Amino acid sequence: MSLLDEIDPLKAEALSELSAAYDQSALDRAKGAWIGPQGKFTGLMKQLGSLAKEERPLAGKAINQAKNELEQALATARERIELAAAAPTVPTDFSAPGRRQRLGRLHPLTQTTEDIVKSFRKLGFVVADGPEVEDEYHCFDALNTPADHPARDAQDTFYLDQPDRPLLRTHTSSVQIRVMKEQPPPVRIIVPGRVYRRDTADATHNPTFQQVEGLYVDKGVTVSDLKGTVEFVFRELMGPKTKIRFRPHYFSYTEPSFEIDFSNALTRKMGKEWLEIAGCGMVHSAVFEEVGYDSEEWTGWAFGFGIERIAMLRYGINDIRLFYENDVRFLEQF
Amino acid sequence: MKVTYNWLREYVNFDWSPEELAERLTMLGVEVEGVEKSEGAFEGIVVGQVVSFCKHPNADRLRLCRVNDGQGARQIVCGADNFEEGDKVALALPGTSMPVAEGEKPNVLKAGKIRGEKSEGMMCSGKELNLSDDADGILIIPGEACVGQSFAEHKGLAGSDVLYDLEITPNRPDLNGVIGLAREIAALTGNELIKPPIKLAESSSKAENIVAVRIDDADLCPRYNARVIRGVKVRPSPDWLRARLELVGIRPINNVVDVSNYVMMETGQPLHAFDLHLLEGKDSKPTVVIRRATVGEKFTTLDEQEHKLNTDNLLIADGQKGIALAGVMGGLNTEIHDDTKDVLLECAYFNPTNIRATSKSTKLHTDASYRFERGADIGVVDWASKRAAQLIVETAGGELALGSVEVSPGSVEPVEIKLRHGKVSELLGTELTPEQNIGYLTGLELETVSQSDESATFRIPTWRVDLKREIDLIEEVCRLHGVDQIPATPPRCVAGENSFDAEHDVLAEARVILTGLGLNEAQGQTLISGEGAKLVAAESISLEHPLSSDMGVLRQSLLPGLLDSLRVNLTRRKDDIALFEIGRVFKPGCPETRKLAVALTGARRTVFWGDGGESKMDAADLKGVLEDFLLRFGVHGIAWERLESGSSLFIESAEMRLGKQVVGELGQLKPALGKQYECRGAVLLAELDLEFLLRCRTASKSFKPMPQFPAIARDVAMLVPEATTHAAVLAVVKKTKPTNLVRTDLFDVFRGKNVPAGQKSVAYAFTYRNVERTLTDDEVNDAHGRLVDALRGQLVATIRDS
Repeated sequence: MSLLDEIDPLKAEALSELSAAYDQSALDRAKGAWIGPQGKFTGLMKQLGSLAKEERPLAGKAINQAKNELEQALATARERIELAAAAPTVPTDFSAPGRRQRLGRLHPLTQTTEDIVKSFRKLGFVVADGPEVEDEYHCFDALNTPADHPARDAQDTFYLDQPDRPLLRTHTSSVQIRVMKEQPPPVRIIVPGRVYRRDTADATHNPTFQQVEGLYVDKGVTVSDLKGTVEFVFRELMGPKTKIRFRPHYFSYTEPSFEIDFSNALTRKMGKEWLEIAGCGMVHSAVFEEVGYDSEEWTGWAFGFGIERIAMLRYGINDIRLFYENDVRFLEQF
Repeated sequence: MKVTYNWLREYVNFDWSPEELAERLTMLGVEVEGVEKSEGAFEGIVVGQVVSFCKHPNADRLRLCRVNDGQGARQIVCGADNFEEGDKVALALPGTSMPVAEGEKPNVLKAGKIRGEKSEGMMCSGKELNLSDDADGILIIPGEACVGQSFAEHKGLAGSDVLYDLEITPNRPDLNGVIGLAREIAALTGNELIKPPIKLAESSSKAENIVAVRIDDADLCPRYNARVIRGVKVRPSPDWLRARLELVGIRPINNVVDVSNYVMMETGQPLHAFDLHLLEGKDSKPTVVIRRATVGEKFTTLDEQEHKLNTDNLLIADGQKGIALAGVMGGLNTEIHDDTKDVLLECAYFNPTNIRATSKSTKLHTDASYRFERGADIGVVDWASKRAAQLIVETAGGELALGSVEVSPGSVEPVEIKLRHGKVSELLGTELTPEQNIGYLTGLELETVSQSDESATFRIPTWRVDLKREIDLIEEVCRLHGVDQIPATPPRCVAGENSFDAEHDVLAEARVILTGLGLNEAQGQTLISGEGAKLVAAESISLEHPLSSDMGVLRQSLLPGLLDSLRVNLTRRKDDIALFEIGRVFKPGCPETRKLAVALTGARRTVFWGDGGESKMDAADLKGVLEDFLLRFGVHGIAWERLESGSSLFIESAEMRLGKQVVGELGQLKPALGKQYECRGAVLLAELDLEFLLRCRTASKSFKPMPQFPAIARDVAMLVPEATTHAAVLAVVKKTKPTNLVRTDLFDVFRGKNVPAGQKSVAYAFTYRNVERTLTDDEVNDAHGRLVDALRGQLVATIRDS
């Protein structure tokens, strides 16, 4: 049999072996058997020299052509095998849950506080802070609430069993005094923080709760300014369609004083046109005198509200104690 | 303070509906906490007149009638036939609750159709009205009844009323009386305040000949007035008086006591009536003495409680004994009783601070003490006394002695306040004219004493104890003008300034980092149990009067609170918990400070179907969280030092140090303590001094170019004694300083097969790199060889073949 006649049967055999290789090692074996250094095709090339001179070009060409074909078949087979190796062994069930990382949540009171802070910051307010253990001076006296004042019932205040009877602040307003004593006007602060009252814990009371206080002192600050700012902040917090109403009220450290009611779809869902949400007023001139501000030159307003109350309204939470239990099933809802 | 719609209408005219009145009061600053309709007799039934009637087209026994209800004619189907055109009848309108016998269901009348004809109401029989047993025909009203008038009014009965429960702010004691409230309405409407006229029929015997008054402590009682009514008949009050008191929540007792209560509700001025004959004194004329009690003086009040008094308590006394605890409650010994003939009527002004102190120390909080401690009206004393005397004579009979015995050592200086009109507009942010300002204030019975273009000076009435400064007058103007009339101006934006502002953001950032690490934020109670506090410290700050023992002390650490939260979750079958809290803690003798605490227990990650069983968190998880947190937060160079001495809280723990400063502690809770909190598995806890970390934080970030040349890694596995720590390995590396070494990573720790007992196999990857060129194998081999020698020599390590 001549060399030329051997090429085609050998090629056919090689091609069928390459395409049958099911993995990389079978392929490597097939490659070695045919086109490796010891391979049968390589052997064929070596026999070229034994051919008659005039037969060589034709045979050489035929062998090369077949070898190219085999190289190509090899590449195709390799691609096929690599693809098969990378593919999932079993089809993925995309309806099954994925492998998840654990992510924590911010406490709902933190989220609410941050939203309040954000809306005030749009107006140029900055956050201030003060101690929770206070003295009577900052918590009451300086806020125009003298010792015999009915608004200052010891029943409401936690006193500490310590020398000088320090107390837990009953409102964040004590920070007003500290800030104004430290810095000259103008002032533009908000103070979020914990406050304490001797209320037995129930669905709407916890002895510890949180407030935000806003204080603004400048030249020519008016009740109009107060109304404008309060409306802005509560529309940010409770939605753009929120209506705000001011009612005259009494606080010893503001004059005139108001309570603020709001009304929106939420209050109507609760069956009420108006719901009380905050207290506010123009800073009392006695307070300005106490901190050394000239009340002829400077005027200002302050307002405050409970953070839990806002959070309860926003999220529809019906028991204030949930905030302090830290049940993970509660925390993970926000 | 409770008041009714009809009662207010006696003193001032207004045409507001009951709902509108509530709204108006609210907007004046008198919060309406409750509105209750009290149904009068025959509510909804009016006097009607039959205009015409004919036979019902579809029913032989029914009549189709046109009946005038005062507003117009309406069609009514009626089964009776005992009436003629023009007859007046009791007409019940749709919506009326028909009178029913006790126990029966309420029957509300509805408009409807009877046999195809509409019927808008009902003409009532005597039986239907519970007036008689006559059910045969409807009730025909004889005589001159007025069509449209309420049937109750026609019968002379009290109509319906509306009861308001008002919240009176402590600065407005004048609103604790109906007249005070009526005055507000008068000011708002411009209508006149109608005070009841005083018409006294006095006898010729003078009060001062019957009783004397002596004030020993004028500072506590600057005004005292006594009147005498002799020969009264004590008995139950007339219906109108009883009904009205009951409506506002006061229990009727007898006519004399009821009148004093009624006048208190009317004027806000408490009064007290004594049985004159029970007063003892020299001669026949007793002297009322207003004096401080003596130390330990015993006194029994009307409620039969005995009190031990001291010199801070003011007593009303006769020559022998105390007869009333001034301004708080009368004495049992001189109480008005059924046989009382002669009455001594006291009307006085007492010092608010003193009454408040006595009310607190005796724990007696009465309608009288409530009013006196907020500041009564010293000017109304005589008028209120006259008003009460007149009503006593009207309801209990008797003879009023001439005049009164009045002692008023404390002269009242009239208060005058100047109001600058410019200041009103300046503060409110809306322009008001001087005329408006003056109008509002004089409407409240403030008198102008002088005025100029810029200002006006007002004399303040005695009942307005809250008006002390100009700003108080501006508030009154604001109230009457209406805060809703003041425009809202958009916020003015200027940057504020406070040093805490930046800190607030850093704290917020810390929280966000921690949630990203898979922890939920907790917020615990500041007040915790003494028992919980003892877990971390022997001494805590305690409250003087805690509400309960589980909220008795201030937290000195966040850990007891987090353990409480773990318990909450574990008892509710939530076993895998990762929490953090950032909050303040309070240590005796130290300033309050912020800490960060972390608590982990349970499975490492949420269960995934594709993984093997869950693995539980251990100390390495906790350390990993803290490391990631510190890295992101910007605190570098923390040293973690195992605490060999042990701790009361942890079975195993370490300190975190930054230089010499301890910045935190972490460890695994002792299982015995864990059990107390329902924890079954390992509980990992850490607490860091966040306030300190804030100060050490490097917030600045800077770019380093990415490496341009490849790194060469060399792994080393070695057997070392069990006690050899990672830190010890790093120390050798640091000391040896291999050239071009840029990283050292621990990647395996193994005990068991082929590792002798007491030893462990540790494997490290050392990475070499030069920023300027590619390293050669020889260079690396040289440096790495020296490192391996050092490890072998200094750690007594056996290097394992790789």
